[in-house]
Amino acid sequence: MSTLFSDFSLKNFKFKRTERLTKLAKREARWGLFFLSPWLIGFLFLTLLPMVMSLYYSFTNYDLLHPNDIQWIGLKNYIQFFKDPIIRTSALVSLKFAILALPVGIIQPIIMGAVLNSRHLMGKRLFTTLFYMPSIVPLVSAIYIWQGMLNARLGWINVFLERFGIPGPDWLNDTTYIYPALIIIGLWGVGDMLLFHLAAMQGIPTELYEAARVDGAGWLTTFRHITIPMITPIIFYNLILSFIGIFEYFIIPFVLTGGTGRPGDTTKFFAMQLYKEAFAYHNMGYASTMAWMLFVVVMIITIVLFSTAKFWVYSAAGEEK
Amino acid sequence: MKKTLLFVITLLLLASLVLVGCNTGAAAEETTTENQEEAVEESAEKVIIRWYVGLGAGSEPENIPGQEALVEAFNESRDDIEIVIEFVDYEQAVDILSTQIAGGNPPDIIGPVGWSGVNPFEGLWLDMEPYLEGYDFSDFSDAAVESYRLEEGLVGLPFAMYPSGIFYNRDLFDEAGLEYPPAEWGADYADGEPWDVAKMEELALLLTVDANGNDATNPEFDAEDIIQFGYHTVWSDGLKMDCAAIFGAGNVVDADGNAYISDEWKACVNWYYTAIHEQHIVPNETYELSDLLSNDNTFDSGNVAMAGSHLWYTCCNTSVENWDVAAVPSYNGVLTSKMNADTFRVLASTKHPEETMEVIKWMTGEAAPELLQIYGGMPARESLQEDFFTEMDENFPQGVNWQVFIDGLAYPDVPNNEANMPNYSKAYDRLHAFKTLYHSDPDLDISAEIETLISDLQSIFDEVK
Repeated sequence: MSTLFSDFSLKNFKFKRTERLTKLAKREARWGLFFLSPWLIGFLFLTLLPMVMSLYYSFTNYDLLHPNDIQWIGLKNYIQFFKDPIIRTSALVSLKFAILALPVGIIQPIIMGAVLNSRHLMGKRLFTTLFYMPSIVPLVSAIYIWQGMLNARLGWINVFLERFGIPGPDWLNDTTYIYPALIIIGLWGVGDMLLFHLAAMQGIPTELYEAARVDGAGWLTTFRHITIPMITPIIFYNLILSFIGIFEYFIIPFVLTGGTGRPGDTTKFFAMQLYKEAFAYHNMGYASTMAWMLFVVVMIITIVLFSTAKFWVYSAAGEEK
Repeated sequence: MKKTLLFVITLLLLASLVLVGCNTGAAAEETTTENQEEAVEESAEKVIIRWYVGLGAGSEPENIPGQEALVEAFNESRDDIEIVIEFVDYEQAVDILSTQIAGGNPPDIIGPVGWSGVNPFEGLWLDMEPYLEGYDFSDFSDAAVESYRLEEGLVGLPFAMYPSGIFYNRDLFDEAGLEYPPAEWGADYADGEPWDVAKMEELALLLTVDANGNDATNPEFDAEDIIQFGYHTVWSDGLKMDCAAIFGAGNVVDADGNAYISDEWKACVNWYYTAIHEQHIVPNETYELSDLLSNDNTFDSGNVAMAGSHLWYTCCNTSVENWDVAAVPSYNGVLTSKMNADTFRVLASTKHPEETMEVIKWMTGEAAPELLQIYGGMPARESLQEDFFTEMDENFPQGVNWQVFIDGLAYPDVPNNEANMPNYSKAYDRLHAFKTLYHSDPDLDISAEIETLISDLQSIFDEVK
């Protein structure tokens, strides 16, 4: 019997077997699968298999340097995870950074998008290009450039501040200023999110603004009651990605500090500690446990955020109901 | 028919793409650099021996050309062996080597490397003894050879020793009108008082100067605009190095595997903390990594009067012309010359132990004089020591009292500052983090931080019990 899953309903996640396929449809299906096969093979061997293997390793003492001595140790890694003071430290570092960086990362593209969307701004295309340009600079090069910019004595930022009699801090080596420094570096590459926000703002029907103006609403009121609600899907998207990004935050602190986490442990982010466990301490089993715990935490946060979406994220489909 | 043909062609194209991809991956595993690829092509019949440099000295830019020239000369002289040298940045060397080993693509030779560099790879080294039958050990001291005899066998041949001393800038002392520190171990300072940490601190206060020319004893001294510092422990990688440099030997683990910090080292941390944040005679992280202090090569900037370091620092101390070396000051009446020793190790996984050992013999024998000059290492071969210092005199014509280093061999730090610890890499990172904390944060409760450090170290040690 030759049939194919031909109808997929996203709503109830059920496949329905509906019809016998013609010869042509079967041939097309075969070709479809054939062209999909590189992705399927890649997904199976480069994503799914490593994930399954890492789940298995998380219950073992797999040591990178002694792979043949691998032993099943049950939940020992998971118990250690909850007792490990370095995990506490690195989780706290990620959390502190999230509290500081998330609001900035959410608000900044909105403000920049609003400015670029303003009809009073001249040279919009130029500014959009300029704001987006940093996103095309290779990240590691950009980090090294920022390292020079944030140098306490000779960096441009402190030299600029000194002209106004403001003593610039030691951005990269002071435990108080390292997070603001990281946020500044992060903001530099905000181009993608800026474009998404700008596109969302430009997609808001102008009738809404016109009606508001007729009702006597000012700029702030329309921004608050029209622009923001209408772009909540993009804000939501940014929020989810930012949360995930912060828990996976790695390249900037790693390049800036050479993986040391200095000053003190202030830049020992969870992902960096995970990397160190795997490749510097060779505890691949424990690192796998960390990765899975990270996955669980991110998954919980994502589910919680999705569950709140119905209260504040605008949905055109919801209106249709 | 046409469709079937098209299907087959597409399938072949896809298969070829996959094969090309796989082949590239395999090639990338086998050869990590362009040089290696060239070497493999050029020497198809030669045995390739990979030499990994970076876990200790050797990968600094100024050291690379000399090593490359030696390797080139070796390769030209041999029909059977081709050395392929790989330079890796020191900060990433452990991670890269770990990945190479885990990926089944390890190098053959690693070095020059001290104890700290090999501690994370305990148990992976080749026992050289079976390949050294008839080898003449008479040029080495017995103690030097025995220091490399571990449970797994003889893991290295003595190569280089690096006693430590206090490098000082004569010009800065002259400018301040101060007598030089003593070259003789245990001797008093010129004023008749003991040459100890307190005396060094006293000199450092006078040698720390702000932009207005005030020294650190002057009430007008501006700590925000310092242009010259009194003392710094160069390239310290953590608490152990900081403290062993001037406060004597120690470790952070006792015989039972428990974490502890001795009273001497607690005093050491407090001394550095005060010296950095209150007296300002030692640069904090901001100054240390600034252009004023040559981005971490502090003594070479010419703006640091005294620096605790090893003989290997001659590798990178080329900008200050008028420097010399003094004995390390005593602490509580005890003299200590923190010791480093380098050798070349061979991974037991090598597929060519015989050929690799041929290269090791060449490195520690025929090539040793030139390699030692490159690394600034005092030869473990007694026959080479005189020539080594003669050549060092040619390199440093201002006249350096090398005898300080030779005499320092009598005061080694036991236990050594690079001694192993349980869960070495993790404990090492924690000690490094602690050092960067007390070097950068002026608002610490330093006693509480020391207790936190001990507690964290205990957890780290317990992980591998």
